[in-house]
Amino acid sequence: MAEQLLNKDVRKQVVEILGNMDGEVKLLLFVKDKDCEFCDTVVSLLNELTEVGEKVTFEKHNIDSEVAKNYHINDAPAIVLLTPEGKDKGVRFYGIPSGHEFGTLLQDIVSFSKGALSSISEESQKKITGIDKDIDIKVFITPTCPYCPKAVITAHNIAMLNDRITASMIEANEFKELSVKHGVSSVPHIVINDSVEFVGAYPEEQFVNEVLKAV
Amino acid sequence: MAFFDVSSAKKTTDFKNEYDVAIIGGGPGGITASIYAVQAGLEPLVIEKALEGGQMNNTDKVENWPGFSSISGVDLSEKMAEHAQDHNVKITNAEVVDIKPGKMKTVILDNGKETKAHVLIIATGSNPKKLGVPGEEKFSGKGISYCATCDGHFFRNKHIAVVGGGNSALDEALYLAKIVKKITVVQNLPDLTADKMLQKRIKETGITDFIYNTVVKEAKGNDKLDKLILKNVKTDEESELDVDGAFVFIGMNPNTKFLKEKVELNDYGYIITNDHCETNIEGIYAIGDVREKEVRQIVTAAADGAIALLDASKRYFQ
Repeated sequence: MAEQLLNKDVRKQVVEILGNMDGEVKLLLFVKDKDCEFCDTVVSLLNELTEVGEKVTFEKHNIDSEVAKNYHINDAPAIVLLTPEGKDKGVRFYGIPSGHEFGTLLQDIVSFSKGALSSISEESQKKITGIDKDIDIKVFITPTCPYCPKAVITAHNIAMLNDRITASMIEANEFKELSVKHGVSSVPHIVINDSVEFVGAYPEEQFVNEVLKAV
Repeated sequence: MAFFDVSSAKKTTDFKNEYDVAIIGGGPGGITASIYAVQAGLEPLVIEKALEGGQMNNTDKVENWPGFSSISGVDLSEKMAEHAQDHNVKITNAEVVDIKPGKMKTVILDNGKETKAHVLIIATGSNPKKLGVPGEEKFSGKGISYCATCDGHFFRNKHIAVVGGGNSALDEALYLAKIVKKITVVQNLPDLTADKMLQKRIKETGITDFIYNTVVKEAKGNDKLDKLILKNVKTDEESELDVDGAFVFIGMNPNTKFLKEKVELNDYGYIITNDHCETNIEGIYAIGDVREKEVRQIVTAAADGAIALLDASKRYFQ
């Protein structure tokens, strides 16, 4: 048997965390056949994760597929989370959700099992649900960055509230070209609609205000 | 090396309106206080804005925490968080934006929620000091960084400067030495101030050179940082250093802004306490790096946590 990514101790903790799930969550994993250094690792990771989590399943698709088009995915590896009703809430992971971001994926899975229940404040929710424009939030991270999960979680929770908002975690080392294009050299580095940019794990209200600047 | 850390998912989002003790910050001080709280029969809530362990997560190796001759900062952080969680300590993920002193102390979180506690322990630590020179703001996130574990990989095979010669500077330089091609350490003093063992190790990497008695005067570049203007503090002579990046570790600033001076601070923003770590306000304690004191180490933060909690337990819960 190939070496496992998740050791016994981590698996035990995953079981505990996923014990908080309500409904079932499906993950759509998008891969490509060529030039994808990390696709296999994500396949292994999701295999192991769905083995441990009874209520988590995943489906593998190629980025040339119709499904990929439907979800507007054009790079790999990418993960899209679906609620128990099969709804896409704009939550994306590009690259391996490893390091500190593995916890982010688990948190998102639990939120999605409750119908993509967003954890942000009522006041912020009002501001976000009122947005009537397509918003794309990119959060560039590295797996070793302790401040990054906060930024990703905040972005994802914002996306959960409004169907016009997409929020992606992007592993900067794996998506070098995109990182270079956006001049990323410190993380978390957040880009909203290619018009608003900031570096750092802002508190929720401040993050929401940055999103509003892009409207 | 891929690692999979679940800690950010282990935090609680549903917490109560009232606790015996609210602890702001989940570094070694806050975690120790929470463990002692449970042992004293009290119910604590730990509020952490990033990851348990705090700045330990940015530390390559910890070699002065008894029981571990050498352990990575991330691993020690995880172990401490697990220890607290094994004691049923609730940890929530949020940043405290304000407090209201009173018989019951209120803490207001960035997610709009709030909670109250009989005793409040401030363990918010500190954050890296800025250089305060022209160009720093412009190139911050564009070549200037304050976190080696976060940003080191953007400088693979590049030449970087590490500004500072103390323990945190050299610890981070040692981490960066595994990634970058060359490191120039810029130190304002005639010598390095880091531990001798750390100095020896950094010199052994063979890719480091040192510039002493020198400060950074300006950061320059176009889209990205490409040079530092240096000034020798003895001769006033200026020079240029071509670099792809600069990591700044010239000391720390306490995280006390959110307190809006509701407790007494010293001129540098550190919280003033008595020997029991209690502030000028009854029932509000400060522990670890955020407190005015001589030695800021993981062990002294942990010690503060024990001192504060045992005092609070005696004075406010008996």
